[in-house]
Amino acid sequence: MDTEVILQVKDLQTYFNTDDGIVKAVDGISYQLHRGETLGLVGESGCGKSVSCLSVMKLIPSPPGRIVGGQALLDGQDIFRQSPAEVRRIRGGRISMIFQDPMTCLNPFLRISTQMVETIRLHQGLGAAQAKDKAVDMLRLVGIPNPAKRVDAYPHQFSGGMRQRVMIAMALSCNPEILIADEPTTALDVTIQAQILEIIKKLSRELGTAVILITHDLGVVAGMCDNICVMYAGRIVEKAPVNVLYREPKHPYTQGLIKSVPRLDRPGKQRLHSIEGQPPNLIELPDVCAFHPRCEFAMDVCRRKYPPETALDGRMVRCWLYEENK
Amino acid sequence: MTKFIIRRLIGLVPTLFVIVTLSFFIIRVAPGGPFDLEKRLPPTIKKNIERKYHLDEPVLVQYGRYVLDVLRGDLGPSYRNPDHDVNYFVWNSLPKSMLIGVLALGISVVVGIGVGMISAMRQNSWADYSAMSFAVIGITVPLFVIGPVLMYAFAMRLHWLPTSGWLSGEAGWLTLVLPVVTLAFPYFAYNARLSRASILEVLRSDYVRTARAKGLRDSVIMFKHVLKGALLPVVSFLGPAFAGIVTGSVVVERIFRIPGMGQFFVQAAFNRDYTLLMGDVIVYSVILVVMNFGVDIVYGFLDPRISYS
Amino acid sequence: MNKQPPVNELNQPLKGVSLWRDAWRRLSKNKMAMGGLVVVVIYALVCVLAPVLPIYSYKFQVLEHQYLPPSLSKNAGQLMVERQEQLLLAMAGKDERRELNEEELALLEAMRGKIDTETAEIDGKTVLVHHRRYPFGTDPLGRDLLARVIYGGQVSIAIGLVGTITSVLIGIIIGAVAGYAGGQLDYLITRFIDVMYGLPYMMLVIILMALFGRNILNLFLALAIVSWLTEARVVRGQIISLKNAEFVQAARSVGAGTGRIIFRHLVPNTLGVIVVFATLRIPSFIMLEAFLSFLGLGVQAPFASWGSLVGEAVEGMNLYPWRLFIPALAMVIFLFAMNFLGDGLRDALDPQSKNKL
Repeated sequence: MDTEVILQVKDLQTYFNTDDGIVKAVDGISYQLHRGETLGLVGESGCGKSVSCLSVMKLIPSPPGRIVGGQALLDGQDIFRQSPAEVRRIRGGRISMIFQDPMTCLNPFLRISTQMVETIRLHQGLGAAQAKDKAVDMLRLVGIPNPAKRVDAYPHQFSGGMRQRVMIAMALSCNPEILIADEPTTALDVTIQAQILEIIKKLSRELGTAVILITHDLGVVAGMCDNICVMYAGRIVEKAPVNVLYREPKHPYTQGLIKSVPRLDRPGKQRLHSIEGQPPNLIELPDVCAFHPRCEFAMDVCRRKYPPETALDGRMVRCWLYEENK
Repeated sequence: MTKFIIRRLIGLVPTLFVIVTLSFFIIRVAPGGPFDLEKRLPPTIKKNIERKYHLDEPVLVQYGRYVLDVLRGDLGPSYRNPDHDVNYFVWNSLPKSMLIGVLALGISVVVGIGVGMISAMRQNSWADYSAMSFAVIGITVPLFVIGPVLMYAFAMRLHWLPTSGWLSGEAGWLTLVLPVVTLAFPYFAYNARLSRASILEVLRSDYVRTARAKGLRDSVIMFKHVLKGALLPVVSFLGPAFAGIVTGSVVVERIFRIPGMGQFFVQAAFNRDYTLLMGDVIVYSVILVVMNFGVDIVYGFLDPRISYS
Repeated sequence: MNKQPPVNELNQPLKGVSLWRDAWRRLSKNKMAMGGLVVVVIYALVCVLAPVLPIYSYKFQVLEHQYLPPSLSKNAGQLMVERQEQLLLAMAGKDERRELNEEELALLEAMRGKIDTETAEIDGKTVLVHHRRYPFGTDPLGRDLLARVIYGGQVSIAIGLVGTITSVLIGIIIGAVAGYAGGQLDYLITRFIDVMYGLPYMMLVIILMALFGRNILNLFLALAIVSWLTEARVVRGQIISLKNAEFVQAARSVGAGTGRIIFRHLVPNTLGVIVVFATLRIPSFIMLEAFLSFLGLGVQAPFASWGSLVGEAVEGMNLYPWRLFIPALAMVIFLFAMNFLGDGLRDALDPQSKNKL
């Protein structure tokens, strides 16, 4: 992992207008991504992790949603200030994204070759034949058997795991600097999950691609990531390198998450741990600590104000427990 | 592929069979029909019937003869009109109805898709709202209101178009404009709304999100990625649309005085000319069934997910 | 008493959501649907209260009053005089005269006299017949078009309602049985529906009308026989998708029998779909009946429905356009209102519906 920062997200805020009020899906998050780093973005469904990455790519559907504030600096240039044409060049060319459900992410009416070649020709300006060769190479790289023949097939002729490999091949075909993987294994069988993660890990190392891995599964994150951001109700509540986080989670939410993972290496019969309560309604969420109703350490100040970022020793936490102590 | 076609063809048989059978029995048992022995029939008709239907033979044989006749394309004599048989009426009127029907269908598809596409691309704009409101009219207002209104406005008051007639007189092909536009109107409206909704739905799909994430521009996304999938429902709808056009033509022919098959059908219903009535039904059914079959095949071509094995 | 809605720890209000209350909330926000509802209620009231409203009978004929144009200010007599005057002027024009001569003027005076004195017996009362006013004009037999439109509305709406209810009931029963039973029975019923779908629907109705005579009862029967198909399919589809849902297994696990499961658990859950479907079916039925009546195969004289009124008016459209446009407008307004209401109901009960156009 390099020390050069290629993506810097600052105070990103993305809101959605709904019939019932404004949903603050992402309410002020900041993080940095270094060249070659694998960053894990962890949290429950609805915490804003997908929305934050879609915002960076400017893929938020604009009538209900809008990016209300913040910056996304790619090599120092703010993506939010660039023209539509420049943003299109970034998508697929410098930042690629793969999504959760491989069954629906490929156009069922077009051949794989068509879908891969169009990206390659768009970002790398190759001729049709060369682009197709490159597509076949990428398919081989992700482990699709008989790629020269399979490239002309339609998506429905592939299984779920194979389709996700195709998505990865397509995403990495133009050698982007960053790959965003939004829950790439959630819709797949456990055995296939491991394979897909292996591919992502191997290729990102070979090609030097930085990866943002979005997931709700702490197990997935452990083997893959260098650093982890934990999100809750639209904000990042903890940031730390992976080993440090697992060894010593600071935020009560993170602690709860880690305790909830069933362990085979602990002795005896244990009850499964779960965090009490439900994630909050994001509509008209007041500016207090959103986790306090479920937190066993909740204090009075938690009910009145949202905790600020507390930097500790190469990591960050947003919790009054650590702010008080300073 | 051929197996697919053959399987589909076989599926047509039950429906046609039911229709022909129904037809036979209706003609036989209809009160006031040719077999109602209570009524005193004029001698010419009585002779025709006896000759034609071999009344002395057992029912099943008569049925068999009927089926064979139909398969050969002979639909029997007209009950009310001893000089002509059913085929005469059908072959004289069918081409006119088909011309109007096909033109109407074609226009409704092309214009409907075009309007739907523009509406979808400019969702919630002025153009979108007015186009869709206009389409609501097509769907809600019945044909027999649209026809007279158009006729009143364009023919009677503005005198831009003739009120009736069939390709005759100096107006020539202009006589076709009002009937075709009237008949096309509801289907254009439905197609416009259908394609708009379908395109919008595809625009929200995961694979269009992927296409955007790859950096493709909007026009490429629309024409290469969206249209193919979005227009499938319109193709599916062609079958029922054609059936509707057949029904609608009855009304349009009455209003604009076109001597098409619809007119004769209604007349036959009034006159209880059962042979003509059922003959028309058989012809219509065959056309509908063939059309639906054609649509199925075309759909199978367009959607690669449908396998032919 | 504290009327504050309950809140959670983050001071966000907690709302209970029952399907119907939520749906009503969404529906009432939909202005078009509410407008549609108001119009439908008005029509319903007029139709139900028709016998006690101060309108003329729909079948009483005053032959002298035929073809009168609609008028709010002038009564029948004045219109008749006007028409006569124009006729006389036209004839005078042929003789190159601009004004009426004495003979003609006397004729008009005599008419005016007759108007103010001539009476007739209507419903047991003696009235000055030429003082009648016809806001919608009259038909070829001198019948009041306003009364006929209202009466036609009664017939059309009644047919729409009864037809819809009948076909929905048949459809629910057959669809529910097919969907729940599965297996052979389901297969048979589905094949039957498929074949019937392939038959030209309108043709069948027309044939049935030709066979058994053209009266309202046959009309109902014919329409009901061919219309339950779509309802059955829809209900069957819903039942099949719900059949294996968890709450059904729960009911079965506490011993609920088949009939009970169908009618107390599955049908209420399909109710939303059925209500929307039925609301959109009513205008469909009305159009069907109107189509038949327009052709002359539906309701017969002296009864009238909106369709038959329009059908009778096509011939004389150039000279007497009101005879066509007024019933057409009455019908179209109702159809629009029902469609908006139906669309609104669908949005309210099932906002994620894939059936939205």
